Formats: sequence, C-alpha cells, structure tokens
Amino acid sequence: MPESSSHPVINTLELVGRSTVKLIEEAGYYVALLIESLYWIIAGPFIKRPVRIHSIFAQMMTMGIAACPIVFVLSFSIGVMLAIQMIYNLKTFGAESQVVVGVALSITREFGPLITGILIAGRTGSSLAAKIGTMQVNQEIDALRVMGINPVRYLVSPALLAMMIMVPVLTFFSDLAGLLGGAVYTGIEIGLSFDAYIERTLSALVVADVMQGLFKSLIFALIITLVGVSNGFSVTGGAEGVGKATTRSVVLSISYIVIADMIFTYFLNL
Amino acid sequence: MTGNSKSAAIEVNDLVTHYGSREILHGINLTVHAGEIMIIMGGSGSGKSTLLRYLLGLGIPTSGSIKLLGKDITRISNLEMNQLRQNMGVAFQGGALLSSMTIGENVQLPLREHTRLDEKTMEIMARMKLEVVNLGGFEKLMPAELSGGMTKRAAVARAIIMDPKLMFFDEPSAGLDPVVSAELDELILNLRDAMKMTIVVVTHELESAFKIADRITVLDQGNILMTDTVENIKHSDNERIQSLLNRRPSNDEVQADEYLNRLTGI
Amino acid sequence: MNINILEGEGYTIIGLEGDVDLSCSPDARKSILDVLQAEKNLLIDLGKVSYIDSSGVASLVEGYQTAKKQTLKFGLVGVSDAAMSVLKLARLDKVFPIHNSVEEYEQEDA
Repeated sequence: MPESSSHPVINTLELVGRSTVKLIEEAGYYVALLIESLYWIIAGPFIKRPVRIHSIFAQMMTMGIAACPIVFVLSFSIGVMLAIQMIYNLKTFGAESQVVVGVALSITREFGPLITGILIAGRTGSSLAAKIGTMQVNQEIDALRVMGINPVRYLVSPALLAMMIMVPVLTFFSDLAGLLGGAVYTGIEIGLSFDAYIERTLSALVVADVMQGLFKSLIFALIITLVGVSNGFSVTGGAEGVGKATTRSVVLSISYIVIADMIFTYFLNL
Repeated sequence: MTGNSKSAAIEVNDLVTHYGSREILHGINLTVHAGEIMIIMGGSGSGKSTLLRYLLGLGIPTSGSIKLLGKDITRISNLEMNQLRQNMGVAFQGGALLSSMTIGENVQLPLREHTRLDEKTMEIMARMKLEVVNLGGFEKLMPAELSGGMTKRAAVARAIIMDPKLMFFDEPSAGLDPVVSAELDELILNLRDAMKMTIVVVTHELESAFKIADRITVLDQGNILMTDTVENIKHSDNERIQSLLNRRPSNDEVQADEYLNRLTGI
Repeated sequence: MNINILEGEGYTIIGLEGDVDLSCSPDARKSILDVLQAEKNLLIDLGKVSYIDSSGVASLVEGYQTAKKQTLKFGLVGVSDAAMSVLKLARLDKVFPIHNSVEEYEQEDA
C-alpha cells in the first residue's frame, strides 16, 4: 500500500486495526458455522440428510477415548502439584489439613476443564484443522459440494457433536485424576488416609462446583472445534498453508480458551 | 445432430466474476448443446479454471446467469441445486477422492447420500463403474495406494456413479503419460456415446482437445476469443489463438509508460 | 416404468418397459429376485426399455448371479439399442446370455 507508508506509528495502528477486523470477521464466521452445524444436527434427520452416527462414534473414539492416558497423566500431575503448593502455603497458617478443600475446588472449578481444554486444543483442534485443510487443498471439499454433500453436515457436525460429548466427559475424568493426584501426595506428606481424603473432598464439594467446570468445558469444546474447522476451511496455498492453519488454530484456540475461562469464571461467580 | 439434441444443456449469459476486487471473467457467453463435448481451452491465467468453478456452482458470480439443464443455478434454491447436482458429475484434476475411504466406498458415496438402494445393488454399481474405467478389482484399495492415472480414473468412476447427464472434467490429461491420457480420451468419448452425456472438458492439452472435441471455446484473460468447431479453430486467423495452438509465447506490445509505472510501483 | 410378468413353458418372462432408473430399479430387482426365489427359469425382455441406468443393470447382474447359484436359466431377450449401449459400456454384453427373441431362446433351449 504505497499511500499508507507515511509513519511507523500509523502503520502499526493500521496493522492492529486490520487484525482486529479480521478477528471480528472470524468470530462472525464461527457463529455462522456453529449455527449451521447445529442446524444439521437437529434438522438433518427430518429432511433425510442426517449427520452420520458412525462418524460421530469414530471421532469420539479418536478424540476422546484415545486421549484418556495423556489426560490422566497431566491431571494427576496437576493434582500433585496443587497439593505441594497448597501444603507449603497453608503451613504458614498451620492449616495443612485444609489442603483437601483447596485441591478439590481448584481442580473441579478450574484446572480440570482448563488442562483438558488445552490438551484437546493441541491434540484434536490441530488434527481437525490439518484434516480439513488437507481436504481443502486436495479439492475434496469441492468434491463433496459438487456431489451435493454439504461439507458442514458431513465434516463439522459430527466433530462438533463428538467434542461436545467427549470434552466434558474427559474433563470429569480429569477431575477424578487430579483429585487422585492430590490424595496420593497428601497421604504421603501429611499422612491423611485415602478414605478420609475422599470423605472430606465430598463434603467440601457441592454439585455446582463440578457443574461449573463441566459447563466451561462445553464452551471450550465449541471453541476448539470451530477454530480448528474454520482454519481448516480457510487454507490456501498447499501443504505450507495446512501447516500454518494448524499452528494458528492451536494458538488461537488456547488463547480463546484462557480468555473465555476468565470471562465465564467471573460471571459464574458473581 | 437431430433437432432434440440441439437443445442447450448449459447456457452462460454475461457472466462476470470477481476474485477479491479483481475482475476475472468479463462477461462470458457460452452455450453447450446437449450431447456434445465442449472443450474449454486457454493458457494459465486465462480464467478457464474460474469458469469451471462457476459452472459447478462453487462460486457466486457478480452478475450474469448460468443455466444448467434449464435451471439458473445463480437463482435456484439449495434443494433444487442439490437435485441438480445428482445429474452432474465432476472429475477433478487431482481426483479429489476422500482419503479416509477405500476406492469402493468413494465411488459409492453419492449413492449412499442420495438414494435408498439395496446394499448389494450399490456394490454392483460401484464395481461396474470401476470396470468401465478399467479399475476392476481395485475397490478395496485406499486412494493413497493408486497412481496418478488410476486416481483420475477412480474419480471418473465416482463422478458417473449416478449416471449424470452433465459431466465436467478438469485437466483430465495433466500429469499423465500419453498412453494413459489417450485411454482417458477414449473413455470420455465412450461416456458420451453410450450414456448420452453432455461433457465439458477444461484443458490446455491441444492434442486431446482436437481428438475429442465437438466444439472448442478459447478463453484468454477472462474473455472468450472464439467458440467454434475444431476445424474452424485450427484455421482461425486470430493471433492469440494461433500462438496458443502453435505454443508461441505471446508478445504483447510494451506500453512504455505503463510498464515503467509497474516497475517503479507507482 | 412398467413391469409385465408372463408365465411361459418352464420359464417366466419379466418385461420391462420405459425408463428403468434409480426411482424404479428396486421394484425391478424385487420382481427378478422373486421369480428366482420361486425356482423358475427367467427371461428378461428389454425390448421396450427406452433407458436403463446402472442401478437397473446392477439388478440384472445380481439376478444373473443368483440364477447361476441356483442353476436356473437366465437370459435377456430383444435388448433395445438404448439398453445395449449401456451394457456394452460395462462390457456386460459379453456376460449375459442374450437372445433376439423368446422363440430363439426356445429353439436354443430345445
């Protein structure tokens, strides 16, 4: 742009402005994509264009069940880490035994959903972007369209549904793994028995704590799917483009997850 | 040709399209008769691929109309478009088979999506189409296991599974050796003769174009230079057509001022 | 499409008429398999077929295969030009027993 090269500050401002406009445009695209996928999920069966059940289950397996080991390892570690930090902090007040409450609330309300969300963004969000991006480059998306097969119904709806089921399930699993991690460390460090730990955890937690975490994980599932898929669809420029879209989708979805987490946590705790 | 087959299968009127703010096609008018093989020819950047995208309903034109089998695809509803698509087959340049499915599943895909035929019938149909393209017995393989020529033929099998009335080929002979490419030309002729298809082929390969075409349309920089029979195209005295036919580089007159401006970026 | 079923001496004739396409080939298929189910030799008259698509041809193929399994006779008679060109494309003209007429079939059979 020859005419705008006048001043570095103005250039930077213009760049910021352009990026902002682009992100807002993208947000609009996410919403449109969400509405269309939900439309196919709900209305598809009535107009004889159902979402493929087989594909939903296949995706639930790859994005959900296969992620269990890594979710367990990370969540368990987070549980141990939280217990270490809290015991250290609470020692100052001589209140080590309160560690149970601290771990239980932190895990279910915050760390379970967040760590699962970040993990799935890296694992499934990237693979969605790569898969759809590759299909775009190979004209497979065009092929679907000319065969009269709506790509959103065929590709996005099953993924969205699978994610909306599996991410909360994984989050719940992550909660359990995190609490287990806390229990193991607390048992070793201050000699609290496992039974007593469970009992105190159950009395400290109310259903709303767990539900808050699961609700957030549902939002994360939407973010990861929509960001991954839309980056995939917008791939241009061959294999390099696919790589860029994949990276971009991971970075964007993790950023959106953390920001959404902050916003929702604020409003859910008003 | 008899009176009936002279009716138009494709009618494009004053088609103007943009990519971003750049105008790509500048008012295209084109008629393809039912049962004919029309070749769309032109160098790279001539707009031939763009024209194909719009014929396939993959883009929304700025203005103009595109009638396929009597229906204006720029105006019809999604439902009607969907029905029309069942009468259209497309063989993409790279095949565009879904890589997660076997060849057989790929070929059956349109049937599964659009019909309620018996499983057995669908399997036999898919195998028959694979036989037509000389890929009998390959249905269990994955697309990644096929060579370039085989992938293209498998894509043709998928495109003709619903016995479409309109068939589009994007660069059928690009990247193929001459023998395989000749086989594909033969197949295109067979499809038209046996199944009475109307066929549009986008290509820059002269040899195959001359062999299979009933008529040829030459595109250049977003305009149609000429639409005529093979003979008339060959004997055309249009300079750009001749340079395309004789593979001469086109020597545009240098507009000194404009050129200088382009170089200095003003 | 119309389906006419005629009983002959030791065989059944199914006459298909008009366009045999996706919308009606399941009916044709059912008629063909029903006759074979009843263990009868089958002739299919394609003389009045104005158009047959591959789902129709697929039904014929399935019928022929079924007949072979049950060692029943199966044949196409009076194949119209429209049907023949489709059979030829899939090289099925070399596969099916094709007779010009029912009389010809009876002579060959005798």
